[in-house]
Amino acid sequence: MMSELLEILTYPFVYRALIAGALISVCASVLGVILVLKHYSLIGHGLSEVGFASLSIASALGLPVMLVSAPAVIIASFVIMFVSQRFRAAGDIAIAIASSAALALGVLVSSLTGQVSAVSNYLFGSVLALSDGDMILAVMLSLIVMGVFIVFYNRLFLLAYNEDYARSLGINTTLYQFVISALTALVVVMGMRITGTLLISGIIILPAVTARRLASGFRSLVVMSGIVSLVSFVLGLAVSFMINIPAGAGVILANTVILILVRVIF
Amino acid sequence: MTERLRLINAVIKYGDVKAVDDVSLTVRDGEFVFITGANGSGKSTLTRGIAGLLPLSSGTITRTERLGYVPQVEEADRNFPASVWEIVITGTQGRGGLFYSMGSRRRALQAMDELGIRDLAKRGINSLSGGQLRRVLLARALCGEPELLLLDEPCAGLDAESHALLFSVLRKNVASGCAVIMVTHDASDLEGIHADRVITLSHGRIVNDE
Repeated sequence: MMSELLEILTYPFVYRALIAGALISVCASVLGVILVLKHYSLIGHGLSEVGFASLSIASALGLPVMLVSAPAVIIASFVIMFVSQRFRAAGDIAIAIASSAALALGVLVSSLTGQVSAVSNYLFGSVLALSDGDMILAVMLSLIVMGVFIVFYNRLFLLAYNEDYARSLGINTTLYQFVISALTALVVVMGMRITGTLLISGIIILPAVTARRLASGFRSLVVMSGIVSLVSFVLGLAVSFMINIPAGAGVILANTVILILVRVIF
Repeated sequence: MTERLRLINAVIKYGDVKAVDDVSLTVRDGEFVFITGANGSGKSTLTRGIAGLLPLSSGTITRTERLGYVPQVEEADRNFPASVWEIVITGTQGRGGLFYSMGSRRRALQAMDELGIRDLAKRGINSLSGGQLRRVLLARALCGEPELLLLDEPCAGLDAESHALLFSVLRKNVASGCAVIMVTHDASDLEGIHADRVITLSHGRIVNDE
């Protein structure tokens, strides 16, 4: 069994999947800490539906998916965040409207243009089909997300803890909200290739929820969320090979099993 | 004396209701000002307006950027995974810089010493009593070296010892030139305290300033 797994690692499509998937999973889980603490857990789900609509349109027009999806999802994240800020209680409503409308639009466009099979890869993910370009993009994106997170760590902590107090200090909270939105949008767009649009919110939220039970401070929560995500991704990918199931589903189920185990044990 | 706050004809509305109505107020360095009034008189709304958390519907506000704000209720999740130290040092973020300098750490430690909470530094905020949390919030406000301290009902939930400590710390800051505005609905908070001014609000308007 072990030698089979090691042999699998020598295939280029496997190490591409491992590197890109692990990096995106860790980035998603780190951002997930902020989103969970700020009660924006569903934003990843909403954005992934917008991603689905945008990739349907990109496929229909024959344009590169990233070229259409990245700006579309970033703009959608800004709109959702703006509505959440402006009408505090309406955040979940904004996400619900954006996600259902976008999903309907995506289904409509892909049906009318006969692109259903082309976009289905994005519904359930296809981490093993990542190209070298996808892997390089994932590495660059991960460096950006982690770099921004480290540089703005203290601001993001304060924003997650008490936005009102941050504002009383003269900190431009709207700017940092948009930073969080933009990073989340980029992770969602990349994550669509790994777990698919239907499951991307899982790799954002599940590790953070699991880590909350294991960590007492904010810093340890961020680190623990990253570790849980990494372990879940590797486990999920390995299991998906062994029992021949889609990798995205394997990763999310691994995350879910770890969450349940942690909740039971701790 | 340097002005730390100037409000001119400030109005703050909730819908059509004027919670703060045509308030003009100037506070200078070294002044200790109480704002009092019954529940619903507009004290907290005025405080949040001064802190920049509510926009003025009309009028103007000019204040120092170095504000130390202690809210009546901390608008945060009590189960947030953070230690007392992590919360206190956030008070230095108003001084610019994305990372905490040695100076920021020193000021945060000094503020915690001053309020007798250094031994709580590693405790989670979810394990604090109401009185301990108020000390933490005051330490957070102080470590930004504020020129204007704005405290909304800071005595709520404090025992006699904490109450005495609070006023001793405030007096010390006033003596070093900080302006202090303290909001309270309880007249007993004023007993034995020498305030430079006591402002009374009613229905959002200043009805007494002496």
